Order: sequence, then structure tokens, then C-alpha cells
Amino acid sequence: MTDPVSKPAAPASANRLQHLVPALIVLAVAAVVAVTSWTQQPADVFVFPRLVSVFFVILALWNATRAVLGLSKVGTGLSLREALNILPGALVMIALIYGAAKFFGFYAASSVAFLTIATLYDPAKLTSLRAWLVRIAVSAAFMGVIYLLFAVLLRVQTPRGLFF
Amino acid sequence: MALRPRLRGGLNAVFWELWSRMEFLTYMGAVFEPLSLALLVGGTIGGLILGATPGLSPTMAVALLIPFTFHLQPAQGLILLGAAYTSTVAGGAVSAILLKIPGAPANIATAIDGNAMARKGEGARALQLSFLASGVGGVFGVFVLIFLTPVLAKWVLAFSFPHLFWLAILGVTIIGSLDTKSFVKGLLSGCIGLWLSTIGTDDIYGVPRFVFHDSLTGGINIIAALIGLFAIPQVLDMMAKGRSSAVIEALEVPRHAILSAVRELISRARALILGTGIGTIIGIIPGVGGQVAGLVAYDQAQKFSPERDKFGSGHPEGIIAAESANNAMVGPSLVPLLTLGIPGSPTAAVLLGGLLIHGIFPGPDLFTTHAAVTWTFIDSMLIGQILMATFGILTAGIAAKISRVPMPIMAAAVLILALFGSYSVQQSMGDVYVMLGLGLGMYGLQKFGFSAAPLVLGLILGPIAADNFQTGSMIAAAQNGPWVYFFTGWLNILLIAMVLGSIAYSFWINMIVPRRKAQAQKAQAQKAGGQGHD
Amino acid sequence: MMKIIAGALVALTMTAGSALAQSYPDRPIGVAVSYGAGGATDFQARIVTMVAGNEDMLGQPMYILNKPGSGGRVGWNWFATEVDADGYTLSAYNVPHFIAQSIKGGVKYDVNSFEPIANWGSDPAVVVVPNDSPFNTIQDMVEYATNNPGKVTLSGAGLFVGHHIAALQLEKETGAKFAYIPTKGGGAAAMKAAIAGDVMGGINNLSDAFRAREAGNIRILAVADLQRNEEFLPDVPTLMEAGYDVDDSSVNFRGLMVPAGTPQDVIDALSATVPEMFNHGRVVGKMAAGGSPMKVMSREDVQAMWAERQAFLQDLLAGL
Repeated sequence: MTDPVSKPAAPASANRLQHLVPALIVLAVAAVVAVTSWTQQPADVFVFPRLVSVFFVILALWNATRAVLGLSKVGTGLSLREALNILPGALVMIALIYGAAKFFGFYAASSVAFLTIATLYDPAKLTSLRAWLVRIAVSAAFMGVIYLLFAVLLRVQTPRGLFF
Repeated sequence: MALRPRLRGGLNAVFWELWSRMEFLTYMGAVFEPLSLALLVGGTIGGLILGATPGLSPTMAVALLIPFTFHLQPAQGLILLGAAYTSTVAGGAVSAILLKIPGAPANIATAIDGNAMARKGEGARALQLSFLASGVGGVFGVFVLIFLTPVLAKWVLAFSFPHLFWLAILGVTIIGSLDTKSFVKGLLSGCIGLWLSTIGTDDIYGVPRFVFHDSLTGGINIIAALIGLFAIPQVLDMMAKGRSSAVIEALEVPRHAILSAVRELISRARALILGTGIGTIIGIIPGVGGQVAGLVAYDQAQKFSPERDKFGSGHPEGIIAAESANNAMVGPSLVPLLTLGIPGSPTAAVLLGGLLIHGIFPGPDLFTTHAAVTWTFIDSMLIGQILMATFGILTAGIAAKISRVPMPIMAAAVLILALFGSYSVQQSMGDVYVMLGLGLGMYGLQKFGFSAAPLVLGLILGPIAADNFQTGSMIAAAQNGPWVYFFTGWLNILLIAMVLGSIAYSFWINMIVPRRKAQAQKAQAQKAGGQGHD
Repeated sequence: MMKIIAGALVALTMTAGSALAQSYPDRPIGVAVSYGAGGATDFQARIVTMVAGNEDMLGQPMYILNKPGSGGRVGWNWFATEVDADGYTLSAYNVPHFIAQSIKGGVKYDVNSFEPIANWGSDPAVVVVPNDSPFNTIQDMVEYATNNPGKVTLSGAGLFVGHHIAALQLEKETGAKFAYIPTKGGGAAAMKAAIAGDVMGGINNLSDAFRAREAGNIRILAVADLQRNEEFLPDVPTLMEAGYDVDDSSVNFRGLMVPAGTPQDVIDALSATVPEMFNHGRVVGKMAAGGSPMKVMSREDVQAMWAERQAFLQDLLAGL
């Protein structure tokens, strides 16, 4: 009866406090949507958003109530350890997308980002020369494929930025 | 008595009509000319690769190929486009299954159970089933296009603004039960998607709605959103495991015999028939398109399956229904294009351009004056479907090995693909910014039981519902008012009945059934406890 | 140190930039289309730019960038504010659409934000009705609309596009009142509504209407132009012939433009070559095959046409 896959070994559910955070954020978004769509003009343009916002607010309230009562059980939440693991990678990601890609050029920034992420999460020792060589080779090969696919085959002109 | 000769006459006419459509066989030879065949094979393999690349949708692939067709004969150009269209739709399943990143909106439903299977080490089996189902659905869809085009042309025109509005609402009603264990969070995810779809400048009045940042003036591009909502959480999930566990993740990929996949497909005929049927019907309706065919078929297969509870945790029927539906829709989606010159989907719009460039106008003379080109095109789609399925099945074992790529490399590769993919949709940095924003937000929500599939469904259905409601209301105001316009006529009433039925069923399955089950279990436990006392 | 390197790099790219002006163009040129792939503007833009790469033309290929949304506003906003004025990104224009939008406000461009290069096509608005419509002439329709104000539904591609302008002109001239229904999804959606009889009639592009009529789906009552279209619709009267003083102000002109501030030598180079490109035999052949009326106009002619439309539309839209 119990399916082994649907029940992971990790903590089955986040605690009540953790569930409260997203529930309240979603409720706040719903409130903003409702206020914006019911106050802005012309009404013709906002008919559909108004309709959606009604359901949005009701459901967000329902969900928040469940979270307050401790009935929200679905979802594993995020442990501190996982959050710390994600942090450096997420920073690289944000730096790449929101700045570096356009400033330095897509190919230059992507190559560096690829190598950085591959290095950050590689279990091999940082002093291992062989691991460095493998990572650099893989990065170069991957960016070569991307260049072939997007620039040569599909002729997509990506922002060149400072380098390329 | 008087009816019988008429009936016979009618049947005769139908028979001859169908017989005349057998004409498609006479042009089969043209597909096997060396250059045509080379284009067909090239288009199919290229299409599979493009489709499997996160961020490259079928519409984009076909649009990007149009310039190549300038240098070809009309028939050959269309062979290339037809093969690419066919195989990109199926190729999207590869990344959906192996990476949980659907290549196009059509493959969202495939990702749900397909990726769950891949995580259990059954990636090869999932891919084989997916390509087999695609092939069966696709071939059926092309046969519908071949034999029923004249009949279906009338159907296309029957769907007007109010009907498309109700159809979109029908789609909205399945949101709550899609890929989530929590009914309220599923509905809420859908609501967020519906809201996101209203962001941007209104098409008709040019008034901005919810434009918090300049990148949002054009609205949220569905392909960029899809990349963000699915790919970014995948990357973050890989990163969450940290440095230590990277190697252990590499799963052994067992080989999977092709014959047993065929046998399994036959044994799961219910999902296959449901998927093919739903895909065909949705494909014909212009303006809804294949984006929702997979999701609706998945939902129905789940509702009709006795193993309903196992959907979402790697049930093969989920893949079969979704993939047979999204390929079955390919053929019928060309019916409005070929008969009326009205493109029923974005991809069909691009194909229309491909036809016009070669001086071929859709319309009745398509099957007379331009019969050679038209039939060659349709035949190439038929052969393309078979080629695509064969090629996909043969390479499934190799493709499945992608799950053995070390985690850090995979995370970096998916991130870079997300960047390039979301940018190339319309060569816009705004799309890239929105992509990551949505992705980060989705990751947070996903950890607490929200789900990307209903959110995307809301994002797709929102504009269909809103636009048809708005335009329909204007027509209604000039005629007999909204009540008459939206609530009368057999098609409206039929669709409203289906909407109500779907809502009632959702409540039954999500609210009443679990409660009863819990009660029954409690009663059983009490009984067992009582017996223990005795 | 880093600053110096960055500064040097910037200086290098800038000198390279001015050197490039002489050898323009030395890389592929993008053409932004403010409508989706597969629409009439997109499809025609793809045809007229296909010979750009020939050695006797620009020597560099042109590629299409689709920036659809909000009736073209998204694409032109982007083009007016975010594109480098270096001649490597052009845009297709649709007149009267962008001029009417800029007069109605809410956009970041007006007629002075762009510099025209050349015009390739003119697509007049035509009045269409479903096959089984009771209206046999444009007079029937106007008479019915006069007696039943607001009851005649007419589909068109959006607000303040050529189709809408034609409807406004006809209303102003006859005093009749139509229910103009702007459909989302452009001309194709408007045409489908007319074919299916969802609306009583429609105003659409000549090129699309011609194809729909060839396919036996609709009838065409009138064309909003100064002369009949002898090539595609010799039998359809103009609105003027039908007795309504409606001129060619709603004709949809399509051509290429660059952002204001583009170097003069780049503009000169483009406006010398681009009309030739439009007149290339292969382009003309494909456009005729696709049922798209052509009208090649030089930069000077387009400048005059823009100015004239600007004045006319300001007048027409003033009361709305």
C-alpha cells in the first residue's frame, strides 16, 4: 500500500513556522494584486485580473489559515544545511543572470560561471590538478557545443558585452 | 423504406470521399527521393535534438528553419518543416523525463511521472514508452488529417469566442488536482499562474497592468517562464545536496528491452486511447493548441485509472497519456490552417508563412492544384512520426545515461542552457531576468507544497479565457447581451455541463474521498482494537 | 588597475566602432518585427530581407527578431529605448499603427523617434462579410448600421490600427455607428471571426482577404484606397466609388526604419541599397506569390508620408 518513492527518507514535512512564511508571502501578494486591480482604471482592462484576484485572496486566506492551524503538511521545507549549500551557487547564478552575462558578454560570463559552479560543487580536492584540468576541459567543450548550437546553427546574436 | 436508398447513397458518398483521400498513397514515392529523404531524416534528428534542448520550443525551431527553405523546392521545404515540427514536439519529452525540464509547454505533463521514473533508474523505459506513445498518437493524428479534413473544417468554425472561453475555464477546473498532494495549494498555484498571465501591457488598450519593472511591459513569455519555473528549481535542488554526495547520485541505468516496452504500451491501452483521442480533439480547436493537450490528457488518464494514487510517483500511464496526446494534436492542428488558412497554433502560423513563401495558399485548391506539394507534406509528417519514434526508441538507452553526468557539471550546464534558451526566445534580456526571478520564487514555493505544473497551466489558460471573454463581451453587448451569448446554444450548454461536472468531480476526489477513506480506516482500526479486547 | 584595463577596452571598442562605420555592415543585421512569427508583417519582412546577404546588396544577411505584444507597442518601445543606434538593429514599421499609438499616448515613441529607410508594401484595409451575409454591397451594410446603431459587429486586428482607422473614417463620413470588435491575435483571429460568422463583417488586410476569398470563405465589399487594386481585386470598388469620402489613410504601409541618432552615413548606405533590395526579382516574385501588394518608396517619400499621416491622425483621433 505505501509507495516507497512518494515517502522520502528526508524529514517528511517542514514545521508550522516554516509553512507560515510562504503562506503569508502569498497572502501579501494576493492582497497587492487585489488592491491594484480593483483601484486601477480603465475597468475594461482589469475585469479579468479582478476576477482572478477574488479567487486568489480567498485561496490565500484559506491556505494561511491552514498554516496557522498547523494543517499544512505537504512539502519538505528547506533545512539550514541545504540553504547553506545552495547559497554560493545561487550567488553565482544571480551574478551571471542579472549582471555578468550582459556586461561581459554571454560566452565569456557563461564560461566563467560554468567553471565556478563545477568547481564549487566538485567533491574533489581544490588542490587536485587533474580535477582542475578535467573541469576546464568540460567547460570549454560545453561552451563550444553551446556556441555551435546557438551562434552557428540558430544564428542567435547574444549580447557581446565587454569581451564576447 | 424511402430512407434506405438515401442512406446507401450517403454511405456511398462517404466511402468515395474517404477513398479519394487514399490519394495520399500515390505521393508517398516523392518522400523517398534521395534529397527529400535526407531532409526528412535530417529534420527529424535535428528536431529531436532541438526539442530536447531546454528552451527551444517547436515554434522557434520551425521559425528558425524557414530561411533554409528559401533555397529548396516547395515540397522539400515543407518536408523539412513538417519533420522538424513533428520531432521537436516529441523531443521535448527527453529533457522533461531526464531533467524534469519540459522542452515546450506540451511536455509539462510528461515531466511529472517521467522524471519520477527516471529518478527510480527507469529513464530508458520512460523514454521508450514516451516515444512509442508519441509515434502511435502522431500517426493517428496524421490519419485524422488525411481522412477527415473536409468534415472537420466545419467543426473548426463552430468554436467561437464564448466556447473558447468555456473551454479555457474547463482547463482551469483541472488545476487543483494536477501534480500536487495539497488541493488548496494546487488551486493557489493555478491562481498565481492566472495572475502572472495578466502582467504586461494590455493588447487592445495599451494600458500597463502590474508592470513593476520595465522587463515586464511585454508580459511574461511562456517559454521563458517554463524554463525558469522548471529548470532553475532543478539546478537549486542539485546544489542543495552540496559537495559531498555528488558521486553517489549517479544511478546505474539498466537497459530496457524495446519489445517489453511495446508490450507494456499495449497493456496500458486505456491511457493511450484517452491521450490520442483528447489530443486529436483539442488539436482541431483553433486557439487552444497543443499546449494544454498533454495536461488535459494526463488529468483524464489519472481520473479514469484505478491506480489514481500512484500518478505523480512514476506511473507509466502518465507519460503515455501526455505524450500520445501532444503528438496526436500535431496533425489535426493543421486542419484549420489547410482548409481555411487560419493558423490554429503559433507553430501553424509559422508554417503558414512557409506555405505562402512558396506561393501556396491554403484553401480548397490545396488538394487539387497543389495536390503534389500538399500530399507530399502530409506524407512526410506520417513518415516523420514513424522515423521519430524509431530513432527515439533506439537512442533512449544512450540518452538515459545523461543521469550519470556528475551533479556539478549538470547544474552548471542546465543554468547556462537556461540563460541561452530564455534569451533566444525573442532575443530579450527582460525574458532572462523574468526567467530567473520566477525560478527562484518557484523553488521557494515548491519546498512548501506548491507546484509548477498548475502554475504554468494558469499562465497558458489565463489569456485564452481573458481574451475570449473580453472580445465575446463586446460582441454580446452589440447583440442580445452576455446571458444569451455565453449561456445559450448547445455547444455552450455542453461545455458548461462539462465544467460543472469537472468541478464536482474535483471536490469529490479531493475533499470527500480522502475523508471517507480516513473514516473507514479509523473504523477498521477501532474494530481491530475492539476485537483485540475480546 | 582593473579600471585602466576596462577603460582601455572601452576606448578600443569605441575606436573600433567608428572604424566600422566605413565598412558598414560587417556583421549580420537584425530586423525587429513588432508582431508574432507567422503574421503578415513577419512573413513579408522575411521575404523582403532574404536577399540582403547578396554581394551586390548589403553583403550581410538580415535576420528577423520577433518582439510581439500589445499591438506592436512592446516591440517599438523596445526599439525606441533599448537599441543601439548603430545600424545593426533595424525595425519594421507599420503606419498608421505606430503613429496612431503615439498620438493616443502611453508609449515611449513618436514619429520623431525613428528614421525611415524605405517602404516595401502597402496593404489597404478592405471590408469583408461572411459568405452567407445579407449584405451584398457596402451600401447595404451602412444603411443597416444607420438604422440599427451599434448592431453591426465588425472585427479588426486591434484598436488604432489601420482597420480601426478605416472603421472610424467610415463612421465619421456616414454617421452610422458600428460595433468595432478588436480581436487579440491580430488579423488572423479577426478573419476567422468573419469567416465563421461570429461577427457580421470585418475589416482586414487586402492580402489576407484576397487569400480568404480565393479559398471561397468570404466576400469583399469595398477597399479603403484611392484606386481599385488592379492586381488582386480588380472587381472590388473603393469606398470613394461607393459614394463615401474615405481616403487611403488607413492603408497599412510597411517598411524598415532605424532609431533616431543613427549615424548619417549608415542611414545613407541603407537608404541607397534597401529599395534596390525590395525591387529584387526574387523578392517581387515571392511577394506576388504570397498575395502581398508591394509599394517601394524611397526614404524621402516615406518621410513625407509619415508627416502627412501624423497630421491627419491627430485630427481624426482628436475627438476620441
